[in-house]
Amino acid sequence: MIAADQNQSWLDAHASTHFANISWLNELRNNALAAFEQQGLPTVRDEEWRYTNLRSLKSHSYHLSMASPLSMELPATDNPRLVFVDGYLDAEHSSALELDGVNFVAGHLEQSDSSLAQYHSTTLPSSQHGFTALNTAYAQDGYVIELANNQVIENVIEVVFVSQNEGAVNHTRNFIIAGANTKCSVVERHIGKAGSVYLANNVTEIIAGDNAHIDHYKIQQESEEAFHIGGVFIQQQRSSLVKNHNIALSGLVTRNDIYTTLQGEGAHMEMNGLVFGTGRQHIDNHTQVDHAVPNCTSDEYYKTVLDDNSRSVFRGRIIVAQDAQQTNADQQNNNLLLSPNAEADTKPQLEIYADDVKCSHGATVGQLDEGSLFYLKSRGINNDSARALLTFAFANEVIDRVNIESIKDELTQLVAGELLSGLEELV
Amino acid sequence: MLVVKDLHASVFGTPILKGLNLTVNAGEVHAIMGPNGAGKSTLSNVVAGRDGYEITSGSIEYFGKDLTELETEERACEGIFLAFQYPVEIPGVSNMAMLKAAVNSIRKYNGEDEMSAGDFLKLIREKAALVEMKQEFLKRSVNEGFSGGEKKRNEILQMAMLEPKLALLDETDSGLDIDALKIVSQGVNALRSPDRAMVVVTHYQRLLDHIVPDFVHVLADGKIVKSGDKSLALELEEKGYGWIEGLQEAS
Repeated sequence: MIAADQNQSWLDAHASTHFANISWLNELRNNALAAFEQQGLPTVRDEEWRYTNLRSLKSHSYHLSMASPLSMELPATDNPRLVFVDGYLDAEHSSALELDGVNFVAGHLEQSDSSLAQYHSTTLPSSQHGFTALNTAYAQDGYVIELANNQVIENVIEVVFVSQNEGAVNHTRNFIIAGANTKCSVVERHIGKAGSVYLANNVTEIIAGDNAHIDHYKIQQESEEAFHIGGVFIQQQRSSLVKNHNIALSGLVTRNDIYTTLQGEGAHMEMNGLVFGTGRQHIDNHTQVDHAVPNCTSDEYYKTVLDDNSRSVFRGRIIVAQDAQQTNADQQNNNLLLSPNAEADTKPQLEIYADDVKCSHGATVGQLDEGSLFYLKSRGINNDSARALLTFAFANEVIDRVNIESIKDELTQLVAGELLSGLEELV
Repeated sequence: MLVVKDLHASVFGTPILKGLNLTVNAGEVHAIMGPNGAGKSTLSNVVAGRDGYEITSGSIEYFGKDLTELETEERACEGIFLAFQYPVEIPGVSNMAMLKAAVNSIRKYNGEDEMSAGDFLKLIREKAALVEMKQEFLKRSVNEGFSGGEKKRNEILQMAMLEPKLALLDETDSGLDIDALKIVSQGVNALRSPDRAMVVVTHYQRLLDHIVPDFVHVLADGKIVKSGDKSLALELEEKGYGWIEGLQEAS
């Protein structure tokens, strides 16, 4: 058992777990453990965790997850997919393993011939929090999508992470390694057994080569009692185009760290975020765009809708290095509060060391417009539907940026129910 | 259909209507004219049920029922339609989406089945032609980036779709050039019917050249000071609102 509030307990559990003996990985793991020993799990005394209290997460004890047969129903899809159950690949339910042009490695971290040695942990920021360290130390499985130069994958690849084991802590470590002139879309879905308490700790590293085009979606629908800690760390080379869509729909406490470093000129990063909070949910998104070289662009658009007693945190950091001239960076965070008890904290953080750049940012917190509500109601639309339509209108600017029709429909349905169904055929 | 008796109403605490009486029967078109600040828009908003418009005394009956008991959306479902003086822009909600939600919400309220997508499309195309609105406007966000004339045409399109029993047109002519005024008026006239009443609120007589009223009322300082037929509008146009002040003093 791991008593989450005792850092030593995490170290002890690691010591008593059998890991394959791979020297480069052992070194990474040992370094991560040493880092964890120093800092432990974050507390509200850490500036980066000031608004996210982990008391509820730490009040539970966990056990390391084991591979187990799938017992939950998977969401329907026509796409090739990979399924991970409690942190381990479920080959039986994974249809994407034979996809042309993609080199999948399952159980990759435990394979000594893995080519990951040169990539693992290279995207991580210099200062990381304890969960990332634990992920490096513990993760034994995850997906690796490796695209050789000029490889274009037309299919959307779906990866479903299922948590079905009460009290489990699942560490998965994933990689998208895209060579030059490649293209792919990857959808991560994180789901869990309704009502169960667990901790999903997921890290995805993305390495975008020259002119690589990568769409990465993260749709988080964990159990309403679960904890989700996620990291997406990206490195972008010349003229690469990466879009990250971070969609948080459930889970008791969610924390995402999404970082990119623009290392090659002409690179573009698009960060889209959509948060729906209900009940007592707490969703914390920390993003960072590091413009390290000149002539890169970034565009960040985060929308949050909070109902009931839910709470969100947004920290958007943009760093423009001294010689990163001609940078063009935009960041918007809009928050819609549907309930007087909801709370949104938003913190744009721009650090600009170059003198010839264009950086803009905006943050708003507001409610539904009374004039618009009256207009809709005066047309006979009931209060719930009027609010749903206006909420959809607010969220749609992000939903519209989703490039996969089935996900767009899914999100539309989620916000507006049947109100907008069938309209596509009409227009 | 609509019986307003000795209505006193305040807008955010300020008394605006001060003893207004008005009776509207099915098939009739009433014009309400008056100077700025007389309470014309307040009357429309009170009947439609806008928040912040408080009735301090008097009554509004609609088909014999106390209208003030109903929520805004219930009034709409019961057949009351307000064409706004300043239609609201709603970015992100298409005209089509709003109207589909409205049509089906009203049908549901009245115990009818939802309209099929095909029937809805047929209906909206037919009604859009009535106000000479292009199909592309149906896909656009409600009133977003519409010109003044397009917004007013959109109001009439909505009215045509929702087929109200009582339509309140609040300064529908404001901001319209002569061509748009003709299109809007044609749309309104096409919707005149023996079982539908209209209350046309306007500052100027020129709208009434196109929408010819059965009755004209002059509203000043929160009450109706003179009623007559369409010739009253012409008289008012000729003599100006200064004439009203004389009437008020006389009453």
